[in-house]
Amino acid sequence: MSKKYKSKKIIVARQYQILALILVVLAGGLVLLPKQTRSEGVSPLVFVKQAVSSERYISTDQLADRIINQDPTLLLVDTRSKEEYDDFTLPNAINIPLEKFFDEEFNGFLNQDVYDVVLYSNDNFYANEVWMLGNRLDYKNLYVLSGGLNEWFNTIIDPQKPKETDSQKEFELYSFRKAAGMYFGVGVPKTEAKAKIKAEKKPAKKVITVKKKKKRVPEGGC
Amino acid sequence: MGPLIPNGLIPLEWNYVIAILIGMAFGYILEASGFSSSRKLAGVFYGYDFVVLKVFFTSAVVAVIGIFYMDYLNLVDITQLYVHPTYLWAAIIGGMVMGVGFLAGGFCPGTSLCAVAIGKIDGIVFTIGLMIGIFVFAELFDVLEPLFVGSNLGNITLVDSLGISPYWIIFIFTIIALVSFVISDIIRKKVKKVFY
Repeated sequence: MSKKYKSKKIIVARQYQILALILVVLAGGLVLLPKQTRSEGVSPLVFVKQAVSSERYISTDQLADRIINQDPTLLLVDTRSKEEYDDFTLPNAINIPLEKFFDEEFNGFLNQDVYDVVLYSNDNFYANEVWMLGNRLDYKNLYVLSGGLNEWFNTIIDPQKPKETDSQKEFELYSFRKAAGMYFGVGVPKTEAKAKIKAEKKPAKKVITVKKKKKRVPEGGC
Repeated sequence: MGPLIPNGLIPLEWNYVIAILIGMAFGYILEASGFSSSRKLAGVFYGYDFVVLKVFFTSAVVAVIGIFYMDYLNLVDITQLYVHPTYLWAAIIGGMVMGVGFLAGGFCPGTSLCAVAIGKIDGIVFTIGLMIGIFVFAELFDVLEPLFVGSNLGNITLVDSLGISPYWIIFIFTIIALVSFVISDIIRKKVKKVFY
């Protein structure tokens, strides 16, 4: 074996030695690297995407429609304090104040995939916070009532009459809100009721007597 | 971030296009590395050529180290990767049949197609035999089905069955690979050289 060939063989072998060493170092690095603790729930990227999306909001009209139709998949959660909840809330709602979100007894209501949970507070604020916490823990089917109870009052309990120049759609929405308000126990204002009764009075029908013409005896013929 | 397709970074429709491109690149590299030669492939059984062992073992080690580093750096979520289910006895018996076929024919299914692509007659004969084998297996499937679907251990890995940290398994696997390369080199030097 020539000297040249021998030296070449050693170089090749050394290349393989270096490659083998790199593999061992990399594999050993995996063992020695400090272990990461992975946070539970959704990834931050997904969380931010969902947080900026408006898909979580449900309008007061949609909610009223579902309550009136007695949607069995609906679960209303009042996120305000106990006093406020006792004072006024929506029918069949349960009270989970923000500070009691992590209580074991309420976990079953929030962490499930059977009901559509609609969260609400006076505004969006507390409901949004509960939604954020729930979403971070990857709870499913959480929604927020857009505008909260204030919006509920302005649209369902005391809706504003549309202007005469508004579209037909606005009037239909108004009459839906009026009807929904009545469902939730809000009476029709007296003045309007009177006007309605007045409008219902119909003028007496005029009787027109029609004299029947006597049949003529046919004259002539063939 | 990754895997790219399940996380929507690449549309699902590109799945097959990318698979075809990777397949073509894989076929090209197999052929360019001489894997379309049945003598080279069978050499691993006779001890005169261990390229097959070295290539496949190296690729496995590089891939597993790479994937775990990407997982560590949050570039790939390893829990989202597909783990093929383990059918224990089907894999053992199937592996033995495959080994006998590999030794007798000088190809594995992928490399036989490489050989067909460059017009090798032994590759064409092997592929015809492969098709006959598939046909016979399909016809006998009712008989073989209990073996085929039985002993399903689920989507398990060594981490689940041994209960050791995956990083230690990778390290040990790397050492085994390197030791096997050294041993195969020693064997190759002792075996009479075959020129092909």
